[in-house]
Amino acid sequence: MKTGVRGQGSGIRTRKAEFRYHFKLVLLLIFFTLAPCPLPLASSEAKIYIDITSPGIRQLPFSIHASNSPTAKEIESIIKSDLEFTGLFSFVDPDLRGAELIADIDVDVSGGLKVILSLKDLVENREVLKKRYIASSIRPLAHSISDDIYYVATGGSGIFRTKLSYLVSTTSGRKELRLMDWDGKTSVSITSKGLTSSHSWTQDGKYLLYSTEKDARWKIYILDLMKFNEMVLYSSAGLNLVGGTSPDDLISFSSSKEGSSEIYLTDIYGKGLKKLTMALGIDVSPVFSPDGKRIAFVSDRGGTPQIYTMDSNGMGVRRLTFEGSYNTSPAWSPDGKWISYVGRINGKNQIFMVKSDAGDVRQLTFNGNNENPSFSPDGLFLAYDSDRDGKKGIYIRRLHIEGDRRITPRDINASSPKWSPYFK
Amino acid sequence: MKKLFIVLLLVMTVGCAKKYTKPAEKTAPPEAPVKEEMVTEDTKMDTMRVDERVVGREEVPGGGTAGEGTLPADDQVKSIFRDVLFDYDKYDIKPDARPALDAVAAYLGQNQNINIVIEGHCDDRGTNEYNLALGERRAKSAKNYLTSLGVSPDRMIVITFGEEKPLCTAQNEACWQQNRRAHFVIVKSKFQ
Repeated sequence: MKTGVRGQGSGIRTRKAEFRYHFKLVLLLIFFTLAPCPLPLASSEAKIYIDITSPGIRQLPFSIHASNSPTAKEIESIIKSDLEFTGLFSFVDPDLRGAELIADIDVDVSGGLKVILSLKDLVENREVLKKRYIASSIRPLAHSISDDIYYVATGGSGIFRTKLSYLVSTTSGRKELRLMDWDGKTSVSITSKGLTSSHSWTQDGKYLLYSTEKDARWKIYILDLMKFNEMVLYSSAGLNLVGGTSPDDLISFSSSKEGSSEIYLTDIYGKGLKKLTMALGIDVSPVFSPDGKRIAFVSDRGGTPQIYTMDSNGMGVRRLTFEGSYNTSPAWSPDGKWISYVGRINGKNQIFMVKSDAGDVRQLTFNGNNENPSFSPDGLFLAYDSDRDGKKGIYIRRLHIEGDRRITPRDINASSPKWSPYFK
Repeated sequence: MKKLFIVLLLVMTVGCAKKYTKPAEKTAPPEAPVKEEMVTEDTKMDTMRVDERVVGREEVPGGGTAGEGTLPADDQVKSIFRDVLFDYDKYDIKPDARPALDAVAAYLGQNQNINIVIEGHCDDRGTNEYNLALGERRAKSAKNYLTSLGVSPDRMIVITFGEEKPLCTAQNEACWQQNRRAHFVIVKSKFQ
């Protein structure tokens, strides 16, 4: 890539080089985005092997067999890791009996990377999927195969090609925004200048919004992931923190431009400003329900920070949390039924979930401080950060069959994951 | 860059190659058109230099200019612009913080050539976003108090860093108390 440009040292040139560097990743995203493909099922009626909507989910006995090359083995191991963490597959040695489905992965590395996936139903002894892939990058290819296997097995869309945006502490008082795969790999820096705090995806996955402090100003920026240009979405005196986005591309944020921090809406051009709250205290962290009709937010109007919900026009305010004196950071589940949040209990911050129409509070974490919950687009996983093993890192909680895994390395301080939507 | 573009074309086919089709390598343009746009920033704060070293060079009443008298002057200014401390999850000015703020107001009254930035900070027990809002309230409480003593609000700028710039990182009340602060930074230039 343009190393000559990168070495020039002038601010503008360096920035261009930085953009080119990021461009690669972004285009990867976009091309996945623009190439939606029907999954070719061999049979006309789709059989569901695992019903993820049933209360007692069974694990599907599954075998995977890859051709004998280092590349094939690497692809196999990524797919295994993907499927394993869903908790929905139990792996059976392909040489032994017992699997109901077997994935045969044939990799040809002569002149590029070509893979043929053959998925066989061993009970009915028929091929249920055959697909050919051409790629040059192993990880997106493997995640793509995982998605296809997952779709055949469950009838649902896998989250293996989704991304997470998150923050990494660099020098003191600075945090940069990064993107990574759902398994924590392929991490790329998005913006490294200043101190970045809250961030959010638009629901089509095409833009990232974030609040960054530079030169003592907190502004909201919008990054077009297709063109990779960054624009100021909203700038005013005071603190401007982006909250979330609605299905029709409204952006909720908090601003203290008139003194106290209040909730506002704007469109993605920074126009059509609408003020929703007038509480004088702190109102912050507004996030839309998936249907865009309600907004959850944090307010100290009752004396301590608590989660409230309101209609997206600012009416119908209801307090949602009553236990404890510190409840913040709401995140709405994709089906709209739950709100995850951070509550302070016994001197530590923990992740909770509460029904969005009130009641049924559940505590999800118990060790260390656990903050910043964000649901996967299928609602089966929850990303959050935790300091339970020392430095803050990003963890993924499996909600349907309890399980946790840390996806960021132990030597970096990573926090505030925000799960992308599906890239359509 | 060419290689990159081919990669992308190849990746594009990953999702949907039902049958093997030759990738369109030949049609790939030599370089992906990277659109660039420099961000045009609001430059209001560009003239402001937030630089703590200014404190040591400041002329202080009764003291000499920066030079051999730097150290005493430095100490004197620092002793005036002490951090204002707050209780956990609170942003009201505590009674015991008032004398220090009174001294700051008096100093600003005698030194019309300087302005201040008030930084609001929190301990790290809260959550990041809420702490940014809380830090701002703390800085604003200090500003409002100074305004009530006659300091022009135009001479004070408020910025919050929440829990992102701690003075110390130990997990005990002594350290948390140090971090729950409004911190003053003296600047020479005017805010316009």
